[in-house]
Amino acid sequence: MEVLLFGLLAEKAGCDRIEVQVTSVAQLRRSVAERIPDLSRLEHVIAVDRVIVQDDRPLTGREEIAVLPPFAGG
Amino acid sequence: MSQERKHKVKDIFVEGPIAPEFIATSIAKHATRTDIGAHEIFLGQVRADEHRSSNIDVRTVTAIEYTAYRDMALERMTAIREEAFTKWPSMTCLHVHHSLGTIKAGELCFMVFASAPHRAAAREAVAWVVDRIKAELPIFGKEVLSDATHVWKKNA
Repeated sequence: MEVLLFGLLAEKAGCDRIEVQVTSVAQLRRSVAERIPDLSRLEHVIAVDRVIVQDDRPLTGREEIAVLPPFAGG
Repeated sequence: MSQERKHKVKDIFVEGPIAPEFIATSIAKHATRTDIGAHEIFLGQVRADEHRSSNIDVRTVTAIEYTAYRDMALERMTAIREEAFTKWPSMTCLHVHHSLGTIKAGELCFMVFASAPHRAAAREAVAWVVDRIKAELPIFGKEVLSDATHVWKKNA
């Protein structure tokens, strides 16, 4: 499944989307950390279908997934 | 009117800075709505913040490059808008614009404009909507510094 990256996280990964195969948000974090080694030290949230979720959210593979750094609007 | 407002996803994003002329035109468009007695406008401007790594190494923000997770931002904005109209039912209208792309220090990047028959609703709604947008919309800001390096902005 495709994961959208934004801002600092896209800069760190060198691209704004990556492909992963995972079934949970916790697994997702581990897969993204392979592309962004210091992910655990970078403040971020996971959005599934455009809503921020916690680690226990299951994933079927059909969702729209994004990893978001801190917001800076305004 | 209220039915029309509901579930309508408006695009708040504009490419580049918000021109003062655009704001003047927005105000003028309300002249036909003679039930309005109060307008409240918040404008966000890019500030030339200083970043210091030492007393001699001072770098200044020359611009912010804004990007956004558009679909999520517009969904959140639609929800915030509906909640605002529920909290302040007398509010006549609410207009929100946010810049994307490079906005130089001194230029305007954000506008929240509410109108109502009386000032309290317009004032309170604008303050509340501004805070909600800053906290909840996935908008990202890369501060470009005077030495061409950059840092990523984070809302307090």
